[in-house]
Amino acid sequence: MVQSEWIPSGVDISVPSVARTYDYMLGGAHNFAVDRALGERIESTMPGLRNAARVNRAFLGRVVRFMVDQGVRQFLDIGSGIPTVGNVHEVAQAAAPGCRVVYVDRDPVAVAHSDLMLAGNDDAAVVHADMRDPDSILGSDAARRLLDFDQPIGVLMLLMLHWVPDEADPRALVARYRDALAPGSYLAVTHATGDNQSDNLTEATDAIKRSNSPDQVNLRSHAAIKEMFDGFELVEPGLVGCGEWRPGGPGDIASEPDMNMLVYAGVGRKV
Amino acid sequence: MSIPSQRQGATSPPERGRELLARKWSYLLSGAVVVALDRNELDREMRDRLDDLCAAVHAEASPGSPSPRSAERIGEQLVALGYVTEDGLRVTLDVLGKGLLGLPEFQPVERHAQSVVAVLGALSSGFLAASRRAVFEQQESMQLSLLKAVRDAQWNLKESEARFEEVVTSSASGILVVDLTGRIVRANAAIGDILGYTTEELTGLGLLDLVHPASVRGLGEAMLALLDDPHEDAQGGSRADRQERVRQPQRLLRKDGDVARISLTMSLLRGADDQPVHFVAVIEDGTELMLLQSELNRQALHDVSTGLPNRQYFTTHLESALRRADPVRGISVFHLDVDAFGMVCNSLGRPTGERLLVHVSQRLKAVLAREKAMIARFDGDEFAILVENAAGTPDVATTVAEINRELAEPVYFDDRGLAVSVSVGVVRRPPSDWAPAEVMRAAEQALRRAKAGGRGQWALFHDGQDADERRADALAVAMPGAWEHGEIGVRYRPVVELAGRALVAVEAVLHWDRGDDSLDHAGCTAPAERTGLILPLGEWHLATACGQVRWWGQSAGLTASLRVGLTRNQSRDGDLVRRVRRVLDDTGLPASRLTVGMPVAVLAEPEAVDNLTVLAELGVGTSLDDFGLGPDDLAVAAELPIGSVRVARRLVERQARGEAEHLAGLVPLARRAAARVLVDGLETREQADWWRAAGVVAGTGPFFGDPLPAGAFHDPIEWYD
Repeated sequence: MVQSEWIPSGVDISVPSVARTYDYMLGGAHNFAVDRALGERIESTMPGLRNAARVNRAFLGRVVRFMVDQGVRQFLDIGSGIPTVGNVHEVAQAAAPGCRVVYVDRDPVAVAHSDLMLAGNDDAAVVHADMRDPDSILGSDAARRLLDFDQPIGVLMLLMLHWVPDEADPRALVARYRDALAPGSYLAVTHATGDNQSDNLTEATDAIKRSNSPDQVNLRSHAAIKEMFDGFELVEPGLVGCGEWRPGGPGDIASEPDMNMLVYAGVGRKV
Repeated sequence: MSIPSQRQGATSPPERGRELLARKWSYLLSGAVVVALDRNELDREMRDRLDDLCAAVHAEASPGSPSPRSAERIGEQLVALGYVTEDGLRVTLDVLGKGLLGLPEFQPVERHAQSVVAVLGALSSGFLAASRRAVFEQQESMQLSLLKAVRDAQWNLKESEARFEEVVTSSASGILVVDLTGRIVRANAAIGDILGYTTEELTGLGLLDLVHPASVRGLGEAMLALLDDPHEDAQGGSRADRQERVRQPQRLLRKDGDVARISLTMSLLRGADDQPVHFVAVIEDGTELMLLQSELNRQALHDVSTGLPNRQYFTTHLESALRRADPVRGISVFHLDVDAFGMVCNSLGRPTGERLLVHVSQRLKAVLAREKAMIARFDGDEFAILVENAAGTPDVATTVAEINRELAEPVYFDDRGLAVSVSVGVVRRPPSDWAPAEVMRAAEQALRRAKAGGRGQWALFHDGQDADERRADALAVAMPGAWEHGEIGVRYRPVVELAGRALVAVEAVLHWDRGDDSLDHAGCTAPAERTGLILPLGEWHLATACGQVRWWGQSAGLTASLRVGLTRNQSRDGDLVRRVRRVLDDTGLPASRLTVGMPVAVLAEPEAVDNLTVLAELGVGTSLDDFGLGPDDLAVAAELPIGSVRVARRLVERQARGEAEHLAGLVPLARRAAARVLVDGLETREQADWWRAAGVVAGTGPFFGDPLPAGAFHDPIEWYD
């Protein structure tokens, strides 16, 4: 287990976690009362948010299958959260046996859970680390054991970069990962935006603020998110509403148009 | 057990029905649940599950071999797909409840409804059990993760208290950290709540003092077993042999002396040197409670006797339905009140009344089986229905008529046949920004107006519609009553040969006498088209006219045929042929003496083409009305078995204004396609002469006389003959 810096939160309050709240929104029971309370609060300010979560999860499946189709056989999923339904290694290994996956999260419970779930799977491992510390991730035992940096790697940063504040310069951080990748590698990003909806979203982000979660949402514009793909070539259809990225069926798109546009999704190929 | 063969070629009807239903199921599920399968895989999976289900329904129906297990298994398999939750179950029951009974193999519905309900019930109970297990498993695995996270943090009380706190306080489960002597050094608020102590009070207590005397020994031994390191006493032992944790159901003593039944997982924390430092215990009592809570929620949202959602549930559902409604079609909300329910209860007793309401709820479900609808029971004898309108959703009047027709069929309770009717208030397409309470108030207001009109009536709520629509609605709503009261009647006008002025046919049209004013045929059919009343009204129109013409034939020797114009909806009515045959059988009028006219535009639709073709085969005369306005009209006339065409009134008006150039050419072209060409709307002799010269054989219009009631029409018969 790599020892890394992760932020201890306030001491004597109940602290919900992003990973477990997301699991709850998807319909899972891998969560605690505080997480469910936060989930309910957010959902009440933005009805249909469950669908946005579901649509993002569906995107995960599509993008992993897409990358496997492009010949990618190794994945680095940063901000992987609680393992739920259709995890990267399950989707990838079903599509092409032998795919290797390194999960990264900074939530200790999510990491512990991933660890338990991956016991016995030699081709997948989890690293407990913060995205802001690329060295501890890229240099981790798991990454060194499972990933060949001379071959293309599929890097997933789904619903993750918006937790990284501007002060931490997410664009520069993404670039650090990019520099470690071989040409032909892919980067998939989904990122919350306020471009298409503002009122409810403010209420929802306020709810997260009030929950005292150590994680706070940083909504970004289409242009700002696109900048993160510096050094990557966006594949068709570009940076679009999450549901609109190569949907494979009606279930990939939320019935509420707003919920498809709450999160931008894009996939870039390193040139 | 006999199961009809189900896999014989992709096009056989049961296959096709199942294929469509499975795809709909898969499609709706994919929008409500999180599963690992992609769309095609899910389609295949649901197709297999549907085959299993259909087999279970067939098995259920065959006596002596009920197999609820197989349907329960399907519920379990659903849960195993991923995160399926209550949304997945709701979607499943919605789609299958309606869809199974729509499959050809389960016709007639009455014979299979019971089996379908039984199978869906078994599916639900299998789903519930599996879902409950899944929740247990997930929660349990979270407890383990929590425990592991604490261990992985290489917990050190002094150095990383904050880190420990993050893990511990985020848990709804109790956590105790116990030193190697069994003394509690750390407790979180959750365990304090479970045991009724403050965390300060717990700190310093001995763990075993909190355990029920009967279990002290078991727990003590388990703790010793954890400490027992195979490294030290067995040469061949490895780390894997070391016991990592114990999990026991336990009884703890609360401060007030009560016993708390919990489940306790204990593990050993080791320091950096791998030496034991502390025990950590995770104590949970939440899961059972949570499940109980959800069952209580379910009960709180449903009416016990009918099993329907109650007002509270309905209102919540209405709120979300308003939000996601199709902006064009919208939703419809019906508020229903069973007429004279008090009388039923007074005379037959309250229990019979309740049984009657259960019956009503089942009939409502049957009527709305094809719609995306929620049916709820409100207080007493009131029901509510929310329909999310789709392309094929019948209009409000048809739905209400259907409900009352279903309920008019008597149902027997203790040998007493009861037939009921309902009064209905309807809000059609409420604006999406309305609050549910506003919609319900509007529906109730409309219901009150409906009840003022007597039993079995319905009324629309009107606010926010423009004046025209309101007027049209008012007409549409008043129409059934007017029809019943005899205000709507059939009138007759002559179809006259232009050359010899002979009576070639009698055209029957509708007429609505509204006291101060009256509406002609078009004025009657337009509102009736809007509501669907046209179908019963049209059949009555046809029957009345056929009877009249047959009588004129017998009594006055009338040989001319009867001509009846159909509307668009009548022309494409799936029952049209049956209706016409029934009328001809009942009245004894030969098919050859009836000519039906269809608006030529409707023949772009296959149903109308089928109707026209079959009627022609039966020997009924066929005519295309409103002819000459569309570019394809000539082609339609040429391709179909058409006896005559009637040029649209608008073209006749155009000719009268002198815009006649290309009209003269229309008639010869039409004559090439159909034998006879007629015109409508003739007002003057000049017009009649012009069209006769152009090649038209006969015409209708004010020039030959306005429509007259049957009694007054006798003269023209004699006059023309």
